[in-house]
Amino acid sequence: MDILYKIFVDPFVQMGAAPDLLVQTMWEGLVAGVLYALIALGFVLIFKASGVFNFAQGIMVVFAGLTLVGLHEMGVPAFLAVILTLGVMFLIAVAVERVVLRPLVNQPDIILFMATFGITYLLIGIGELIFGGNPKRMIAKELYLPSGSVEFQTLGGFVQLQKIDIAASVIAAIMIAVLAFFFQKTRIGRALRAVADSHKAALSVGISLNQIWVIVWFTAGIVALVTGIMWGARSDVSFALQIIALKALPVLILGGFTSVPGAIVGGLIIGIGEKLGEFYWGPLVGGGIESWLAYFIALGFLLFRPQGLFGEKIIERI
Amino acid sequence: MRAPGDGHGIMAGDVLLAVDGVSLSFGGVKAITDVSFDIRKGEIRAIIGPNGAGKTSMLNVINGFYHPQKGRITFKGEMRRRMRPYEAASQGIARTFQNVALFKGMSTIDNIMAGRTLKMHENFFWQCLRHGPAMREEVEHRRFVEEIIDFLEIQAIRKTPVGKLPYGLQKRVELGRALAMEPELLLLDEPMAGMNLEEKEDMSRFIVDVNNQYGTTIALIEHDIGVVMDLSDRVVVLEYGRKIADGSPAEVSSDQAVIDAYLGVPH
Repeated sequence: MDILYKIFVDPFVQMGAAPDLLVQTMWEGLVAGVLYALIALGFVLIFKASGVFNFAQGIMVVFAGLTLVGLHEMGVPAFLAVILTLGVMFLIAVAVERVVLRPLVNQPDIILFMATFGITYLLIGIGELIFGGNPKRMIAKELYLPSGSVEFQTLGGFVQLQKIDIAASVIAAIMIAVLAFFFQKTRIGRALRAVADSHKAALSVGISLNQIWVIVWFTAGIVALVTGIMWGARSDVSFALQIIALKALPVLILGGFTSVPGAIVGGLIIGIGEKLGEFYWGPLVGGGIESWLAYFIALGFLLFRPQGLFGEKIIERI
Repeated sequence: MRAPGDGHGIMAGDVLLAVDGVSLSFGGVKAITDVSFDIRKGEIRAIIGPNGAGKTSMLNVINGFYHPQKGRITFKGEMRRRMRPYEAASQGIARTFQNVALFKGMSTIDNIMAGRTLKMHENFFWQCLRHGPAMREEVEHRRFVEEIIDFLEIQAIRKTPVGKLPYGLQKRVELGRALAMEPELLLLDEPMAGMNLEEKEDMSRFIVDVNNQYGTTIALIEHDIGVVMDLSDRVVVLEYGRKIADGSPAEVSSDQAVIDAYLGVPH
């Protein structure tokens, strides 16, 4: 009975006793969630348009961040460096389309998935070759991202919010809104969804697959750059960052692989769930549950709602 | 939609598309061997033949999915060797598929709207704002799509995801998407396969109406010989990748080689 009490009662008593701590924990979870959502968004974009799970999204985040910082170190002004980095991401999109996707048209999804592994290791290699393996500091100040924190008194205590986290949330929200709109309401958005459903049918109505793929990969590259800047500003830009990309998997399972809003909600649930779990339930097992709780939640979802919260229900007539 | 015989100086009855000595093989398998025929503006041209005769390969060559190793294809007076599918689409060739290739997750309206892709030109910026010229464009195309929906009598399913529809209706939506492209040449790959009698009659009626009302030239592959004889103006017969007969339905059906191909030759 004692263990049941510790699991089901005690944490909530703690939450009630110190609401400021609860708010603080949830805020941290929210911020982590926003960043997970950004990464997941990169995956969703490519998955929607080509049905490919792009394993390289994580390294694209790192690569974009490194390029930006690297260019700045070479003496390029910060905002020019952002534009040049976008140029690099565009070149990557074109190269991926030319060298990887075009020769693999109509191949099974698993082959395209494996190809994205290849892209991952290629980008790691090129990245280390050019920028070295050491972590770099993100040029947050040069990009006029706020630093420091605001603190305010509520609920009988203090809640501290990092300004960079607030900025990250706002930027992510704007970006997500624009992308959701782009997918649902524009001709190109419709073409993207069409390509995702059937390559040959898309070709037959005059949609150019090559063009669409470049657009999608470039969009994913833009998302990667924003993600890289935001993550980099909180920690450092290093190759270890690409591991966080794996956190996108439970987010996607939760939110659905094909849904932009799903990526957001999934990201937030995972982020907040993780932090709350770690803070209130972690001590029961000696801590450290943050690293696997997300996958545990995802497993539960797979059992009961395999298409995720917002995913397109899989329709198959037999 | 277009009236018959406009533009490009091609009048009804002129050759719209000419296939000249086309050969196509996959490794050692010869799918098409030295086939020539033409399609005239405004006609319904049937391509028939036993299974594996190369009919679908022929359509794939015409709309650019396959590139033949030998031969020439002339469309609207322009000769070409290689053409990408989306180029074929932009020049006015639309098609449907034997096994229905629709965008399953999208609604009927969105599927047919996808057929308007090439007709929409407003720039990206306005589209994102969903304002000004882009909004007018979207509304205008939507009106056109509603016309097609009325024409094909699929008003009731306009918002349904097409993956949920029965097969016969899916084929109809696919035809709608092809019509949305306002094609000059419409390629139909077994438009009536797997349909019951009533659905076949509906589909035949739509094909004839498209041809009559809009003057669209149609090339169709079909197995139902009764349908072919009723619908088509001229028939080309393929067997083992070669052309064995070409002419009016009456000529073809009395041709000994065709009878042999379909019924077999006594040994």
